[in-house]
Amino acid sequence: MLSSVSRKLILIAAMAVVFGLFAASLIDLASLYNDATKDYFFEHGFEETGSNNLVTGILLDYRLFDSLFEAGILLVAVSGVIWVSKHDFADKNPNFMIDKYKTPDLFISFARLVYPLLLAFGLYIILNGHLSPGGGFQGGALAATAILILYFIDKNKETDIKRIVTIEKVLYLAIILVALLSLFTRSTAFTNFVAPAAGRQWQVVYLVTLNVLIGLKVAFGLWTIFTAFLKEGR
Amino acid sequence: MADLTLLEITAYALQILLIFIAIAIVLHKNNRTIIILIASFSLVVSALYVINNAPDVAIAEVAIGAAIIPLIYVISISRQREFIVLDRAMDDFIISDEEFTGYGYRLLKQFTDHYHLDLNICNDPMICQMEGPDQNVCERTNVDLIVSKDEKTGTYYLKGKESSLLMHKLEEMAADYSDIEVQTFKDVEFGE
Repeated sequence: MLSSVSRKLILIAAMAVVFGLFAASLIDLASLYNDATKDYFFEHGFEETGSNNLVTGILLDYRLFDSLFEAGILLVAVSGVIWVSKHDFADKNPNFMIDKYKTPDLFISFARLVYPLLLAFGLYIILNGHLSPGGGFQGGALAATAILILYFIDKNKETDIKRIVTIEKVLYLAIILVALLSLFTRSTAFTNFVAPAAGRQWQVVYLVTLNVLIGLKVAFGLWTIFTAFLKEGR
Repeated sequence: MADLTLLEITAYALQILLIFIAIAIVLHKNNRTIIILIASFSLVVSALYVINNAPDVAIAEVAIGAAIIPLIYVISISRQREFIVLDRAMDDFIISDEEFTGYGYRLLKQFTDHYHLDLNICNDPMICQMEGPDQNVCERTNVDLIVSKDEKTGTYYLKGKESSLLMHKLEEMAADYSDIEVQTFKDVEFGE
């Protein structure tokens, strides 16, 4: 057994090593921070990805591999929430959990007004992701908020979480498959399956498909998290 | 000062506002106020993102930070602060003449006020007539306390989870009443 003093000393030494490495990495700042990638994206991004919104172009083309894991993180988070809240899928029903008498009428009327607008705005953000700011994740989050509002309007709404989670998993597999399609058409994985030579109007097909898939996946994932919280409540 | 554009002044003002909101979140005691402050924090941050030419991030920030997270907090906090009592006694122990005037209610009110909780009495017939032992009813409906009455002796039983620390205090407070007995039962284990 190590004494507490020597354990503290080891901890301090370990931290000193970590900070030393960190400081050493900061010496050559010029090679760390340069504009090479930025210049490349500005110069070629518009033609190569076919996206007017360069952020979407980077997210769904140059950095698609990263985006896949980003979508995977949400999937893991959803499984974690379900696991922690120890559900019996069949047993509990979210409609029991929202207080039937305490939601103010003003809130319900206002929610009825906002719900269609929010859902439409979410879909617009998803479908327009390659033209204007936004994309799958942002639009999916907005659509999920609209779905959450739906629970306050319709108090007897019942949800089959198991089905939602299954749909989410299938959508995630579909995203990976669409991302891998380029392996057959262009012999490179994780990029647009339509070559830039085919013209911008065909490249857009890929961007919209992937945005819609990611948007639906995010919406379903956040929906599951809400239902977990609503059920856990009471 | 003269070199600053209007946009830059706005950005600085929003950043200073952000610091004040952050301090307010830490210092405030009321949970519901804190939720509103967190939502406004996200709103200010997303405005700053727009000023810094990042509209994509701003949309995500608004959707997640100003809508989803406050809603989840509202749901969880409004549930956390409630002490739900299931009234199966069916007489004037708690509710008499459609009003909370029974001495059982006064005891429970005194108890919940001590812990700054909202007392929520539930006598929904659907739940009261639920089959099975109290332990299972408690687990399935997630109520904190079940009130029931022994018809022969006229004793009122207050049953709650053994793991709840609140039950000891309730036992203490109910000691003055001869016809109230506080009982505890073991929690249903996860996976059973």
